Amino acid sequence: MKNSITINNQHHPVDVDGEMPLLWFLRDHLAYTGTKFGCGMGICGACTVHVDGVAMRSCIMPMSSVVGKKITTIEGLSEHGDHPVQQAWLNNKVPQCGYCQAGQIMNAVSFLSTNQTPTSEEIDTAMQGNICRCGTYQRIKKAINDAALALAKEVK
Amino acid sequence: MTIVNISRRNFVKKSGLSAGGFMLGLNLPIPNEALAQVHDQLSANFSPNAFIHITNNGDTFIYCGRSEMGQGISTALTSAVADELEADWQRVTVKQADGDEKYGPQATGGSASIRTMFIPMREAGAAAKEMLIFAAAKVWQVATSECFAQNHYVINKINQQKLSYGELASLAAHSPVPSKPKLKNKNEFNYIGKSLARHNQTDIVTGKLTYGVDTKISGLKYAAMIHCPVLGGRLKSVDDSQALTMRGVIEVIKIPRFNVPFGSIGGVAIVADNTWTAQQALKKLVIEWELGKNQTYNTKTYKEQLVKNVEKPAKTTFERGDLNKAFKEAKHIVKATYTGGHVSHSPMEPNASVVWVQENSCEVWAPTQSPADIQKTLGQYLNRNPKDIVVHVTMLGGAFGRKFKCDYVHEAAVISEKIKAPVQLTWSREEDTRTGFYHSINAQHIEASIDESGNVSGWLHRAAFPPIASLFDPSVDRATAGDLGVIEGHPIGIRNLRSESGEAIAHTRIGWYRAVYALFYGFSFGTFIDELAYAAKLDTLSFTQKLYLQNKNNHQQEQIKRSLMVLELASKKAGWANRLHLPSNQGLGIAVHFSFDSYVAMAVKVEVKNDDIKVLKVDCAIDCGQILNRDGATAQMEGAVVMAMSLSLRTEIVFKDGAVVNSNFHNYPVMRIADMPQVNVHIVENDHKPTGLGEPGLAPFPAALSNAVFAASGKRYRDLPFKPMQL
Repeated sequence: MKNSITINNQHHPVDVDGEMPLLWFLRDHLAYTGTKFGCGMGICGACTVHVDGVAMRSCIMPMSSVVGKKITTIEGLSEHGDHPVQQAWLNNKVPQCGYCQAGQIMNAVSFLSTNQTPTSEEIDTAMQGNICRCGTYQRIKKAINDAALALAKEVK
Repeated sequence: MTIVNISRRNFVKKSGLSAGGFMLGLNLPIPNEALAQVHDQLSANFSPNAFIHITNNGDTFIYCGRSEMGQGISTALTSAVADELEADWQRVTVKQADGDEKYGPQATGGSASIRTMFIPMREAGAAAKEMLIFAAAKVWQVATSECFAQNHYVINKINQQKLSYGELASLAAHSPVPSKPKLKNKNEFNYIGKSLARHNQTDIVTGKLTYGVDTKISGLKYAAMIHCPVLGGRLKSVDDSQALTMRGVIEVIKIPRFNVPFGSIGGVAIVADNTWTAQQALKKLVIEWELGKNQTYNTKTYKEQLVKNVEKPAKTTFERGDLNKAFKEAKHIVKATYTGGHVSHSPMEPNASVVWVQENSCEVWAPTQSPADIQKTLGQYLNRNPKDIVVHVTMLGGAFGRKFKCDYVHEAAVISEKIKAPVQLTWSREEDTRTGFYHSINAQHIEASIDESGNVSGWLHRAAFPPIASLFDPSVDRATAGDLGVIEGHPIGIRNLRSESGEAIAHTRIGWYRAVYALFYGFSFGTFIDELAYAAKLDTLSFTQKLYLQNKNNHQQEQIKRSLMVLELASKKAGWANRLHLPSNQGLGIAVHFSFDSYVAMAVKVEVKNDDIKVLKVDCAIDCGQILNRDGATAQMEGAVVMAMSLSLRTEIVFKDGAVVNSNFHNYPVMRIADMPQVNVHIVENDHKPTGLGEPGLAPFPAALSNAVFAASGKRYRDLPFKPMQL
């Protein structure tokens, strides 16, 4: 399989088994370790990245399906770590161990791009696929609300 | 070169102080001795002890000797150092210490880090500060009492001159080390008791923080691993011919059993050029296991047996007063049996590490709660001095007790030694779930006698659970008197009391899980007290107050006072007085538990609809003495509620035919965001010695929840989890 993929605006040749999940291409071939391995079956959300701007579980996404696409990982979300969602995470002191947070943030960013004024229930539904074993959900929710307000201001 | 020159260069460059103020300093004669030292130590930094390193430009590194797994210890302890050091937190870089005895005991568990390290860490900071002041006083030729430290400077009280810590670093390295540095008073704290953000949160939200699973070094190979599903079983045969034909597979390696308490149970590993290939190749192995005697282990029947073992006389572990007399004279006797299942830690980062064994070195990068144990075990295995095993403690992506036991590191070492290359072994989620050191399955039976005046006059408490001691001695057939010590030590202090330990032989590995035995003792005491209150037709708060205050033991008065204070606070914040006005399907439950020297009470509000339990709100009150980091403490309680909710409501590890049935988060359904209640944390302010909060937050929750559900629905849950997934 000889093709290329764009990750955080950089082109990378793809020369691996097409069945290999994107997660392991990122982690083991390119050392983009910000994207985490949690479950390997797309049910914990730790591996969430954007594929053409939409949150996807990279641990179950074969390379053959992402060739030619534009991937954004946590490392490429913002140049200086200052995306409004990242800022909201810092302001609310969300992380504990932090292992799931890249996935949480990537999922939240994708969600907020489709819903600028989320209700509490909508946040729950959107974030239900991301597990945090440290239990930071209350702060995640608050951060998403804050980020939604900040993003709305940005648009104005 | 003289100190004058150094000072000028650095002052102008770094401090931005006016030249005038600086020139005053220049006019002071410099003692010869100090000058000589500066000549010798021109490029030297200041490392007064293992925890502090200050460079000549003032950059300050503070080392945390305890493992950071999200509990916030690497911020809490280092900020205590910075506080005493009068360091500017913005100039501080927190470093995780490698495994080394110079950092004191590093085994991170038992909520002990703050309890044991608060004073030593502060003393380290205070000593360094006194040495910096001594150096400055020497430069100015004034008494040290004429100087004070503030925000990375030493200041001369007489003329307000300043010397920065960077300026003073070389000189301070030669100051005498104070034997008893003076610690600050509470009202002088800059960071202690405040809410500093954790030092690494920017690296977390940008994906830069490296966990054990993220270590990358040149020439790294990747491994995956499968273990025997039954404890005590062994590998009979493995056919690896199919696996070895896969592109990228390098080698198949049999991992031996390590005969130490936290040792690998052995299995088969595959090494490949990436983790995914190694995981895929594992599926191509044809393995035959000899399962051994534990293959009959079945948690459903085992729990039933534990119940039988506590509902009949067992081995007495403690006795006081005359229980038989109390029971004989009782007006009535209340009894209940409580049970709980195995629980798996399941941190989001599965077990993983990098090990590189070479001819003359062995280097480990591991998310570990116990670097010394890795050094000891690998030292034995490789026949080397433990000190020659270099352990870099990485960030831990959650641990909750699991990463105290580093079997996964032993395995990586075996592989690295064999393939003569650095290897990263990452367990799959399935292996992580099925090869754990589980929280103990348990049963407790309590009988209490109520006398004529309505007081609890006697307390019989039987417990049966396979103890952690079984890891160290497999012949152990039940929990010890020490394991049941909580019963006689409980602040209710019933005068006539007997504890008994029922038979409970371990058929899997039992290990410390966040809050350990306090999980089921908190559940049994807190729920039974609620049941007693109903029997006495008193509300639980009044009944608990009466019960605790009945205990006149002098040595328990503080425990009683502080326990009741947090219980009253949580109850008040939750609106206990108005609980009867809640909607008919809602209920409020309270419980308090003292564990790991901290006091935590919770008031839980639930809604029960068609047997579905929704936790709406939790008011949590804590007393952990002097608080180090308010936000960190609050976060620990929020997290404790979520983790306790998982094990109270849904998750348990189920064994059938000796093997774990659960495999991943679909059948180990931990709480998700929609389950999250509103959690309010209330902190009792006092000056008691600080105690830890990593674990105590879990202990009162299961009881408070059971009590709330009973209040809402009249249904009493006595088995954890209340609503297990059927597997």
